[in-house]
Amino acid sequence: MNKKAGPLFYVFLAVFVFVVMFPFLWMLASSIKPLSELFGEKAFSPFTSNPTLQNYVSVFVEYPFMRYLWNSFVVAGVTTVYTVLVASFAAYAIARLNFRGKPIILGVVLSVSMFPQIATISPIYIFLKNLGLTNSYLGLIIPYTTITLPLSIWILVTFFRKIPFDLEEAARIDGASLWQTYWKVIMPLAVPGIFTTAILVFIAAWNEFLFALTINTADKFKTVPVGIALFQGQFTIPWGEISAATVVVTIPLVIMVLIFQRRIVSGLTSGSVKE
Amino acid sequence: MPQTDIDPHKPIKVDKKTKKKKSDAKVGYLLVAPALLLILAISIWPVIQSFYFSLFDLRLNDPTKSSIHLDYQLDMDRYLQNYPFLIGAIDSEISKGNAADELGEIKTTLEELDGRIQEKPKAAENYDLINEKLDNFENIPEELKYVEIEKGVAEEFTTSVKDINSELKSINSAGELDQGDKIVGLASSLNDIVVEPNFIGFEHYKDNFSDTRMWKALWNTGVFTFISVLAELILGLAIALLINKAFIGRGLIRASILIPWAVPTAVAALMWKFLYDGQNGIVAKLFADVGLVEKMTVLLTTDTGAMFSVIFADVWKTTPYMALLILAGLQTIPSSLYEAASIDGANKWKQFLTVTLPLLKTSILVALLFRTLDAFRVFDLIYVLTGGGPANSTETISILAYKVMFSQTNFGEGSALSVIVFLCVAIISAIFIKLLGSELIKDGSGK
Repeated sequence: MNKKAGPLFYVFLAVFVFVVMFPFLWMLASSIKPLSELFGEKAFSPFTSNPTLQNYVSVFVEYPFMRYLWNSFVVAGVTTVYTVLVASFAAYAIARLNFRGKPIILGVVLSVSMFPQIATISPIYIFLKNLGLTNSYLGLIIPYTTITLPLSIWILVTFFRKIPFDLEEAARIDGASLWQTYWKVIMPLAVPGIFTTAILVFIAAWNEFLFALTINTADKFKTVPVGIALFQGQFTIPWGEISAATVVVTIPLVIMVLIFQRRIVSGLTSGSVKE
Repeated sequence: MPQTDIDPHKPIKVDKKTKKKKSDAKVGYLLVAPALLLILAISIWPVIQSFYFSLFDLRLNDPTKSSIHLDYQLDMDRYLQNYPFLIGAIDSEISKGNAADELGEIKTTLEELDGRIQEKPKAAENYDLINEKLDNFENIPEELKYVEIEKGVAEEFTTSVKDINSELKSINSAGELDQGDKIVGLASSLNDIVVEPNFIGFEHYKDNFSDTRMWKALWNTGVFTFISVLAELILGLAIALLINKAFIGRGLIRASILIPWAVPTAVAALMWKFLYDGQNGIVAKLFADVGLVEKMTVLLTTDTGAMFSVIFADVWKTTPYMALLILAGLQTIPSSLYEAASIDGANKWKQFLTVTLPLLKTSILVALLFRTLDAFRVFDLIYVLTGGGPANSTETISILAYKVMFSQTNFGEGSALSVIVFLCVAIISAIFIKLLGSELIKDGSGK
């Protein structure tokens, strides 16, 4: 296969990146336009002669957007910490200990990760409603387990399997207990994998929509995706504010992706590729 | 937790190896337990319950159907707001000598029924509690209101009350009563006091399978899934093949590939809604300018336009992910295979067919499995972008289930729809897993 890249290839790359990034660039351009330029002929011009930050101000002043960001942050953060912890125990056992029924357990985990969320929503909603947990952080953290726990077990198992077995055996021969082996030998080596899993779990929880839409309906507990989606009023859609809000949530993501891209890719592709 | 390592009928020989194995198994089960319990409680149990709910006429906005109950119940609150007054009114008519015989008989029947209702200790207890609260003009809490009664009592109550009603009506129309209208009114209020069990078996499924809206939604879901996943596979494969080489700026490409994947779907959908806008959307204008669509408004206001729009947005968002998975698969193919193939005189196309594709089979199938299931349960993208419209032309089965549950508050029917989604997903997974064999969950620990 031709492994060298010619100039034509770079043209292709440039076009590809532009097409992929175009919607974001357009949102960025629109977010600094004054209201009058979002409609009519000027709507199609990428540049404005009167740039303004009015939309950004309005997002934070007229909408409880800061609150949405905080809610998302709390829900996604707590979900990540607790699922990754629980999953790391299970994944360690599945990847490194010998006991019966491991393929069945992995099979269950995999099938659960394929469950459509809609199939669990009615009992979960009624359950949370009866406990008075709708419109609370816990009301989202609990159902998010259905999505994040199988995902993290699945990814972590792959990472744990990559750690050489000799290390563990050496530690055991030296008389270390299983618990000590786990914390002192395996854990330090598993940190990159756990960190990768945490990033993916955080993104999954941050982006979740269906549970957030149905369970937390009060403005005080809405998360970012639901908050932005419900910016649209009955008759008008405030595109200026929506563009600004989109930019605000996308920029941290872009930074995160730029920093952690290697990890994210390794997490996404782990388990799907045999080595 | 089960300890199945030891056979009780054999003499137990404990050497070091099996001892270690045993403790390993114990710890293993202990470590897996929390995760499994959580999965059981928060994922598997709700699916079973969804199925159970789907057998009931469960409506959150109707107090008599807001929970599932297999038994007959009596609305005690309503009963006690009518029964004592009815007896009182009858008594006063009897004392005035109006139709005394007939009314006397009716009174006895009513009192008999009342006695039978109070036979159950729980009912008697609530009876007094509610009476007390009614006397103090307090609100009756939901959990006191409905009292279980025997099926026989319920049926007897219903028929007797019906008879009494018609009798009272005829007595009243004969003009024999002073407060005839009041008595008839009170008696007729006793009619809807018995709450029948809301178990309806497979009615919801029968309704759904004869409902064209359900089939339309299923069809839409199928079309969306098939076209978008196919497009993503072809584009993803092409992109993966193109960027599977050394070049400057790999990081930039990888990052730009990941951004559409990482952005919340709801936000991406909103973005596309802006770009597709019939008046001011730049993508709508570009599509109209190159002649892909006739008019800018076609995209979001016509059936095929809307379906095309959601598929296009989905392809934009997830092709990069597909490309990444396939690229990872490509990178595991040793280049020596291509060298060998080219020595054998195979051209690029032949190499692709004989080396790349067969070795990529697993990667592609896994990527296809995940994407197909994801696309089949699509919700946020369509909910935000079109809301299922125009005229339900992009309404998928998940959107329909959501609307039935949360807009019509019909949880029974909605649960039936969600069970249908679940079954479809199960069938799709089964097909893929059959194709994949056991490679997905193979114990790759190498031991």
